[in-house]
Parts: sequence; C-alpha cells; structure tokens
Amino acid sequence: MTRPGFVLDVDDRTPPLLVHAGESLRLERFPDGTRVIYPPESLPGVDDLDATIADALENPVGSEPLRALLFAGMKLTIAFDDLSLPLPTMKPPDIRGKIIEQVLTLAAAAGVDDVELIVATALHRRMTANEIRHVVGERVFRSFWPEKKLYNFDAEDRENLSHIGLTDAGEDVEISKRAAESDLLVYVNVNMVAMDGGHKSAAIGLASYKSLKHHHNSHTMVHSRSFMDHKNSELHSSAWRMGRLLAGHLKIFQIETSLNNATFPEQYGFLSKREWEWSLRDQAMMYGASRGLDAMPGRLRRKTFQSMRSEYAVTGVTAGEVEAVHEKTLAAVHRQQLVEVDGQSDVLVFGLPFLGPYNVNSVMNPILAMCLGLGYFFNMYRGKPLVRPGGTLILYHPVPHEFSQLHHPSYVDFFEEVLAESTDPATIEAKFEKAYATDPWYTHLYRTSHAYHGVHPFYMWYWGAHAMDHLGDVIWVGADRRTTERMGFRSASTLADALEMASGSVGRSPSITYLHSPPHAIADVK
Amino acid sequence: MSRRASRAGLPTVRGLARGWRWGSRPLVPASAEPYRPLPAPPREFSTEWARTPAVRSLRALAQSAALKPLIWSEVSPTVSGLDHLTGLRGPVIFAANHSSHLDAPLVLCSLPPAWRHQTLVAAAADYFFDDWWRAFGTALVFGTVPLDRTGGATAAASPATPHTLLTEGWSLLFFPEGTRAPDGQMAGFKTGAARMALAAGVPIVPIGIRGSFAAMPRGRSWPVSGRPQVSVRYGAPMRPLANESAKKFTTRLAQEIRRLDSEDRSSWWSSLREPATAVPSRTDGAAPAHWRQVWASTEPVPEPGRSTPWD
Repeated sequence: MTRPGFVLDVDDRTPPLLVHAGESLRLERFPDGTRVIYPPESLPGVDDLDATIADALENPVGSEPLRALLFAGMKLTIAFDDLSLPLPTMKPPDIRGKIIEQVLTLAAAAGVDDVELIVATALHRRMTANEIRHVVGERVFRSFWPEKKLYNFDAEDRENLSHIGLTDAGEDVEISKRAAESDLLVYVNVNMVAMDGGHKSAAIGLASYKSLKHHHNSHTMVHSRSFMDHKNSELHSSAWRMGRLLAGHLKIFQIETSLNNATFPEQYGFLSKREWEWSLRDQAMMYGASRGLDAMPGRLRRKTFQSMRSEYAVTGVTAGEVEAVHEKTLAAVHRQQLVEVDGQSDVLVFGLPFLGPYNVNSVMNPILAMCLGLGYFFNMYRGKPLVRPGGTLILYHPVPHEFSQLHHPSYVDFFEEVLAESTDPATIEAKFEKAYATDPWYTHLYRTSHAYHGVHPFYMWYWGAHAMDHLGDVIWVGADRRTTERMGFRSASTLADALEMASGSVGRSPSITYLHSPPHAIADVK
Repeated sequence: MSRRASRAGLPTVRGLARGWRWGSRPLVPASAEPYRPLPAPPREFSTEWARTPAVRSLRALAQSAALKPLIWSEVSPTVSGLDHLTGLRGPVIFAANHSSHLDAPLVLCSLPPAWRHQTLVAAAADYFFDDWWRAFGTALVFGTVPLDRTGGATAAASPATPHTLLTEGWSLLFFPEGTRAPDGQMAGFKTGAARMALAAGVPIVPIGIRGSFAAMPRGRSWPVSGRPQVSVRYGAPMRPLANESAKKFTTRLAQEIRRLDSEDRSSWWSSLREPATAVPSRTDGAAPAHWRQVWASTEPVPEPGRSTPWD
C-alpha cells in the first residue's frame, strides 16, 4: 500500500526540506505556513511485465488484436519515443524495447518482411547508436541497425516526408513518408507525465517543421492551460486535430505505457522520502551526496548525475486506438501523480533538478533551465496554476552560462542574439523564428550531427510563454546574474533574499507553495 | 556570485542535528500523518530443526541449567497442582492466562522435566517470527512454533500445524487470550485451543498464573527487582463433554482458569463455591475502571506459609 500525495504545512516541527538546484542538492528551511506538495509514493509495478504486454497486444481497446492486423507482404513501421523520456533514463531493459520485441515476434510469426523502426525525434537531436541500442535492446538493434531499417526520423529530408492534408483549422499535417505509406504504424510510447502520448505521439513525433509550427508557437502555448491537461491545452487540441486527420489516412496501433514514481535509484532513495522520516542513514547520505557533489569538478559532477539510471516500474501497458488508449493511460498517470491542492498562493517555489527532456547526456543551458521551470514545472497543474495571476515564481538553479556546442548550437545564438533584443515570445517569433528554422548550417548540423533543430530554442522559449504571461515576477535562487538578466529575470542569493525582492508585489507575508518534485506530481488545484 | 552564497543551503552537521533533533524523539509535522508501515506478511520460518534430537537435548540443558535458575533467581514462584499430571499421558494442551512474557518460561520451568522436554509453545507468528533472530532464539530455548493469531494462512500453510504436532506426540502450551493482557486481567478466550483439543482428542490442562503481571508487565523486558512472588497453579485435565462445542468448551476453560486464580487467592473449596472475579464490577454493571483492574492485578501474592485461608 503506497501513500497518496499530500500537502504539508510547514511548522516548527518540520526539518529543513530537500531542494534540487541543478547538479546540486540543498536543504532549505521554509517559512512557517509554507505549503509543500509531496507526490504520491511510488505505486507497485505490474507483476509480470511480459504477460502484461502480451495481454495488451492481444486485448487492445478500440482495435482488433495486433496479431489480426499483421499479414505477410505488409509494410509495417514501428515508431517510438526517443531518449528524452523517461527522466532519468531507465535502467535497462527499457520498456520500449520489451514491447518492440513482442511486436516483432508477432510480425515474424505473421510473415511480415518489410519492417522499419523509426525513432520519433521530430526536431530533437538524433540519438546516438548507443542511445538507440539502450532503448530497443541488443536483439532489435543488431537485427535492424546495420540494415538501416532502424534510424532517427529526419524532419528535413524533404523526399521522405509526406503531406497528408490540412485539418479543419487549416493546419498542415506532414509526417514521415515511410510511416504514412505503411499498412500499419505501431507507435510505442512512454507516458512519463500527462502531456505525453495520445495524438501527440505520431502527429508530433514524426512531423516536420511545416506541421509543428501550427501548434509550437507563442499564441498556442499561452493558451495551453495546462500542457498536463490535454482537454484544456491548445497545443493538444491542435495535435488532436492533426492526429484524427492522420488516423483517417493511416492505421495506427498505439501502445502506451505508464510508469511509477521510482525516479531515483535505490542508493538515492532519500530523495523520494519525506524529510521527517529520514533515518540517520538518509541524513548521512544527504550530507555526503550534497557535500561530495559540491566538491567535485563540474565535469565529474555532471557525469555522476547523467549516469544515474532510474528504477521505474511499469504500472500499465495499454494498446489499441489512440484516444481510447490514451484515456486509460492518463488514468494510470493520474493515479500515480495527482495531488489535490486547495487554491493558489502568492509565491510558488520549484527546485529544478539536473535533467530535463532536452539535456539527456548533455548540458542544461539557461534556455533549457527556463523551459524546465516555466514550461514543465509551472504546467504541472490541472484546473488553475498553483500561483495566482501576478504572483511570484522562485526557482532554484545555478543557470550557468554553459552550452553544448554539439547538441545545442542554435541555442548559443538564440541566447546571445535573440534574447539581447527581446524576451517577448510573440516578438521573437515574428522577428527571428523563420531565419533560425531555415538556417542551412543549423539544418546541416541537425541532419548529420547530433544537434537540435535550429528552431528548437524558440520552442523552448514558447513553452514558458504561459508562465511569463501569468506571473508578475520570476526570481532565481543561487543563479548566475548575467544569464538570468539576459532572460529578463532576477536572481537572489537565498530564499530569504528572493522573498524580500518579491515583497514589493506579494507583500511581506505571502502565501507560499513549494512543489516537492521530482518525483513527479500534478497539482489538481481546486 | 560569491562562493559563500553559492554554497548556501548545503547541509551542515549542526543543521542536520537541529533539524532532525538528534538524541531526542523525532517529531512529525502537525499536518503530516506519522508513518506506520503495514505489517509485512508473516514469513515462513521452519521450526523443524528445533525438534531434532540434538536441539532437544540442547534445549533441555538450556532450560534446566540456565533458564530455570535465571527465572527462579528473579522471581519467587510457587507451583501447585502438579499432581494433576501424575498418571496423565500426553500429549495434552496446556492453557494458561497470559499477562507477561514471564508466563511461558514459568510454565515450562515449573513442569516436570519429562513433560517439559515434550512441550512446545504456540507463539504469535506476527510477533515472535517477524525477525529471524527472535524466531531462532525462541524456537531454540522455548521450542516455539508459529501460530497465526488471525486464524489465517500461516498456521494452515505451515507444515508444522499444531494439530500435526499433537498427533506426533508433542504437548503444546497455548495462551488462549492471544496476547498479554494490558491490565493484567484475564481477557476473552479465543477458541483455538478448544478446537485443537476437540480435533486431536487430547485433554486441556488449565493453568492459572498470578503475579507475573506485577513482576513483569507489558513494556518491561526484565522482572522488577525484589524477587516478587508469582504463583503457577495447575488444574485438573479437562476433556470436552459429549456434543460440546468449541465455544462452550472455551467458556468452561476460561471459568476454570478464573477459578484457579480464585483458588490461589483463597482456597480450593471457597473457589468452588464462589469463583469470584478479581475486581468486582460496578453496581451499574459497567466494567471497573482501568486503574482498579491494574491495582487488583498487581496485588502482591503472599508468600506461601505466611498466610492461609485458615489464618
């Protein structure tokens, strides 16, 4: 029996609380009365994963069994989420690989020869061979990679894109030609949070810039309230329109998986525990880990964090028709992550961890830190944001002026050139987006190296548009002043300083909420 | 950004000691529920090894050379009624009231060696068998066998069920109350011992224990100082009457143990005439106050010879 999430009121009995701050761990004493939202404890995984997958394929929702959809001579494409999910990367075997193996076993039994596997990267960087091997497993990798039948999606390969048509709202739907022309597209996803999956999988993961720009823009993002609630997200509404159009042209068999909250490996178990229940060993681990990390050279510290492998267990596998599957998946995700919270507060506090979807095996640059805080964490709500309109957001992260030239080349120019001119999402979209999206050098790096697409930093900035529109003030604790200033934010040395700085807008005794995450929690704000 | 500022929030030993109140009882924030983990399902712990000849010999030695001298040095037991065992052939079920961890060693050590070496103790699986060291220690010294207090799967699933052991010739010591009485007063009996006696066709020997609560109540791990008096009184073996149900047999057993307690306070004869309770109930029929029950339970047992019913 795992305990549900809950909201703590900080009092004089409350010990200092754990706060993530990039590649470091902090203990913070919050003012009395601060509300702290703790995610539900990790649910147990399914007993027999192989049997659960087999059952999902044999008894899908809203679809015939996969076995009945496979036949000799058919063209089968299997697409799957890239390594941006889950976070941190799963300890092998990855759930996607387990599912793909069973799908291929059925395909082999049905005599299917023409099979291709596509990493649904959209405008993300190409995964390396090792990363793909990690996701699909050795057996699948060895069977398809040398034959070039297992590859990263290329959104700039014009010859291999197929324009399906326009939605009722006039949105282009353009996806991988191979997927579009297949007799069956099997999509394997990892639904780490509620915004993943559904029509967002194929209609976005296999789409080109021409298609993505219809929903990845500042206007749509401002009206997505929130990303974690697809029925109130303009981004998802657009993706759903596209997905439905796609489903009319192409048979899609969606396989979605939900995970529990075992975000950290066993030795870092204290990171998921409630602090007043920390044993002496947990306290010693916290002391040793935080002090040790602080003393480490930056490169070693990053390696320590990036080599962390989560011990997620699968709580559900559902297969079949996209929307029917997604409803079941969302129920499983909510069961694990939803916490009821009563009303908004004046100040909201996040401790941003070392990892977001776009810096796996890489550097969290300032744009990505902003996206993680104002894009992802801020949107971890259903109903209304945790902070009132005009309220203050306080984030813990050092926001170093650090970029990966390999993975994020266009981010460097975005930071130096675009943000120097404006931080308003709509302005920079109108003025700069097209140039970056069509820049031949960025396109070349995206296609041949391991760089995110030239337009990607713009999308990251748009992710924060709703938060920027909603908030009165954003203050970073312990951050590099130069980087936060460039992004239009302020920085403080301590929480007390940040609250002092915010007092002009929220007063001297503001109500404060701290979202104690990771592990993930979605606040159901009443 | 100064180095000092960037290090703000790093834990310090002093901060940890203050935050988590080292050396004091840890506190739970008022708005949080204290964490009470669910009891783990009882683990199977085989006790068969404890009934092998070698371990039996070792146990006999431990009980007579260590356990009995130790118990007898800490308390002053008076054992009566052992004559009821004369001529009786085992196996039997010994059933006693239970208010202290002293009860099992008191009964075992007061039994004649021939009976003692053939007697095992039915012990709560969820208490005595939840840690390997406790299970090992009690099985070695007392010959405990796990008994599921909820009447669930453990006893049934275990290869060494009480019924099997009885049919193999082992006598068993049961505490039908299921747990130690928190106030020393005898609580309601569970029907397990009676059912077992009915099923195996063995008699039950009732035992009344008095004074063990005062000597070592719940919460103590060692008897109080001063070698307090305790009394262990054996009753006549009881067999089920014709067509008697386990429930009725249990009621009769409880009455008999209560009578033994009364006999110990007064005399056999008066206990037959007036099997009085230790604490009279209130005039309105409600249960007496907790303190009165504890008061009565801790009434010193007089030393034998100093006070008799004929005084």
